[in-house]
Amino acid sequence: MTIASDHAHSALLRAEGLCKSFGGVQAVRDVSLAVPAGAIFAVIGPNGAGKSTLLNLLSGVYRPDAGTVVFAGTHLTGTPAHRRVRHGMVRTFQKIRLFKHLSALDNVLAGFHIHAAIPAWQYVIHGPAFRQNHARCREEAVRLLTFMGLERRAQVEAGSLSYGERRMLEIARALATAPRLLMVDEPAAGLNAAEVEVLLERLQMLRRNGLTIVVVEHNMELVMTIADRVLVLDYGQQLFEGAPAEVQAHPRVIAAYLGGQAA
Amino acid sequence: MTVVLQQGINGIVLGSLYVLVALGLTLVYGVLVQINFAHADIVTLGAFSAYFFMHGLGGGYIPSIAVALLVGGILGWLMNAAIFAPLREKGSELLPLIATIGVSVMMENAMLAWFGPIPYAFDSPYSNHVMRLGGTFITLQNALIIAVSAATIALLYAFMKFTFLGKALRAVAQDRETAGLMGINPNQLVMLTFVIASALAGMAGAMLGPVLVLTPFAGTSVIVKAFAIVIIGGFGNVEGTILAGLVVGLIESYTTQYLGPGMIDIVVFVLLLLMLAVRPTGLIAERREENV
Amino acid sequence: MLSRRAAYLCATLTIAVLPLVFPDAYWRTNLIVCALNVMLAIGLDFVLGYAGQLNLGQSAFYGLGAYASTLLIMRLGLPFWVAFAAAVAFAGLAGIVLALFAMRLRGHYLAIASLGFAVITYQILLNWISLTQGPLGIYAIPPPPTLALPGLPPIGFRNLANLFYLVAGFALLSYLLLDQLIRSPIGETLTAIREDEVSAAALGINCAAWKVFAFGVGSAVAGAAGCFYAAFVGTLVPDAFFITESFTILAMVVVGGTGTLIGPVWGAILLTVLPELLRGIGDLRLVVYGVALTLVVLFIPGGLAQAARLALARLRRAEAP
Repeated sequence: MTIASDHAHSALLRAEGLCKSFGGVQAVRDVSLAVPAGAIFAVIGPNGAGKSTLLNLLSGVYRPDAGTVVFAGTHLTGTPAHRRVRHGMVRTFQKIRLFKHLSALDNVLAGFHIHAAIPAWQYVIHGPAFRQNHARCREEAVRLLTFMGLERRAQVEAGSLSYGERRMLEIARALATAPRLLMVDEPAAGLNAAEVEVLLERLQMLRRNGLTIVVVEHNMELVMTIADRVLVLDYGQQLFEGAPAEVQAHPRVIAAYLGGQAA
Repeated sequence: MTVVLQQGINGIVLGSLYVLVALGLTLVYGVLVQINFAHADIVTLGAFSAYFFMHGLGGGYIPSIAVALLVGGILGWLMNAAIFAPLREKGSELLPLIATIGVSVMMENAMLAWFGPIPYAFDSPYSNHVMRLGGTFITLQNALIIAVSAATIALLYAFMKFTFLGKALRAVAQDRETAGLMGINPNQLVMLTFVIASALAGMAGAMLGPVLVLTPFAGTSVIVKAFAIVIIGGFGNVEGTILAGLVVGLIESYTTQYLGPGMIDIVVFVLLLLMLAVRPTGLIAERREENV
Repeated sequence: MLSRRAAYLCATLTIAVLPLVFPDAYWRTNLIVCALNVMLAIGLDFVLGYAGQLNLGQSAFYGLGAYASTLLIMRLGLPFWVAFAAAVAFAGLAGIVLALFAMRLRGHYLAIASLGFAVITYQILLNWISLTQGPLGIYAIPPPPTLALPGLPPIGFRNLANLFYLVAGFALLSYLLLDQLIRSPIGETLTAIREDEVSAAALGINCAAWKVFAFGVGSAVAGAAGCFYAAFVGTLVPDAFFITESFTILAMVVVGGTGTLIGPVWGAILLTVLPELLRGIGDLRLVVYGVALTLVVLFIPGGLAQAARLALARLRRAEAP
């Protein structure tokens, strides 16, 4: 399933010539991409291809040695990670980072803070705006948890949830920041087939609601199911960017994956 | 000019003792990523053990250094067994540090109750033997300190770099799990590190005794500088610590000479804070981006 | 258990009644020290328990508040409450400066940087003789000025009971302020930072800015305590603000329980009162602190608060069939 043409959609996220090396090892070399608004954009490649590094560059965790990142027309290259979230860009982590000792609900609530509309004095004297915000956030948090299938686990400590539930929670929490772009890092890792199904379904639903999604995955099959556009990385360089159908037939991509599908 | 040289020698004497103390801290940090706040008190207890060995039991000065070394090693063993090992499972970064603060407060005040606040006159038989070196004077005690410290540091360095155990220690410091998979028992190595580090501290105490004012709080005056040294040199970095220790020793002796002793802590700590502001990982350490 | 309003009411009543229960000067003095320690403890708890930063510099902010207000009153002749406000702001500012320095530091580095700050502050107080008179100290510091409220007899603060009401009242007010902040999104933000800074940043939280905020608040509260301390004790010497004081406050917070705001209150009260009860130990007071701190960390890291929760849970289980 491909979009008719990405020229018809302006790119929400654009990166040009990103480079990053660590102590002599070039993790990402001259990678450029254009993520069309409202699309699911997949970044795939074998392990060690630099996918997570690329995501870290896009989200601001790493500063690029060279290259630019432009989001919705704004240059974000030097902007620190936390400020990018205000622009509407949020990410999850490959190694799940939840607030383990907080409940699932509290985890999601943490995502609302940047948009809290409360005058400063009401943090001390909890007036009407405070109470409204409080109620609204809780409602929204429950809605997000329900969307990700966690409504019955709201009060459970995040560290006690199953692996699959924690993945979903991380996404729910990210959605609380009201993003325009969601970047998920290896979301299917560690999930069983049924959980992967649910995950893909959710991502597609989110796309239907207008969210742009970047998925980093090394599982080709998964990606082919939902991606509108694919970027293939290998050894930090881009091999190919285009429609999923074309990716599978591309000789260099096949070579990179040793003639078939990755594990 | 001779004043400059004289203070330079004093600085190196102090510096080598600081290095001994700081090395212990940095070694422990290297394998455990933890700071033992009570390290200072091991120094103090080492000094007191040496003192009582000499003045209570009539032992010689050199053997008293060995006694202090032993006492330090035993204390290190105790602290690791009682505090760091049990807390390792909990995985908290700050809890062990806080526990050692508790131990430090406990030890210092127990010593205060036991030994009293009045300074003990710890004289080594070598303090009065003065030698001439060009235009400067150096007591035999100080020469002894430099010699013993240099020998110890050199031995330790060689141990870390060339022996199997030393390399195993470095392996555990870099990646505990993998080291474990290679057949090295990380827990035993951590214990070994602790014992070595604390033995060094005890020994430093025995040599510092005649130089410092010996009260239960003698360690405190050293520990804050030792922290500064470890940070300036880089946590876990042996070469950096040695360099930083000597530098701090020199700073201390020159500050005392030209600015007055009250300013020492201020100068050292302003330097420390500047270091933290500019280069948190220390003088010689490599920069590491956080791995997400 | 108790609703919040009921709890605050209880606390107010207790404060009102305490000086009546203890009419002698010795115990009233202890009550005032208790109240001061409560302020110091909850100030540190805000930074350590909620923002997760091990701040070993609380003694410095305590001292800065004490010396700043004293110097403003005695050298510049400013009225007490003006000096109070200025000193609190000064202490808060010092906290902000330390936090800005320590912004990029985590865990141990921050602890040592804050310790370094405490050492430097102490040395400055000790050695800047022309300003602070060093170890000789500053004498004859007046208590807060007598309050003349319409319709009431004048309230003089040489009276220990009145002074206790003043300090305890401020302690309660500080508690209320911190409690409100903690129960707002600010508290949740700080908790997020404490739990995982990278994660918090990934949700848009500006960790550095909030850490600075927490430090500023915690140090301002300590500064306020310092002002009252100076007015209460009458004689100010730098030794009262040696780094050991930081460890003492830390002990109170950890023993009380860093996970709550009320825990450190109990920790402060316990560690202030307990050594007085065990009158014989005298010098061993600090040994007790050290032992308590170590044992708590090893066995009940959540402190008294956690112990209370466990006890309560066990009671509930015993009640259920």
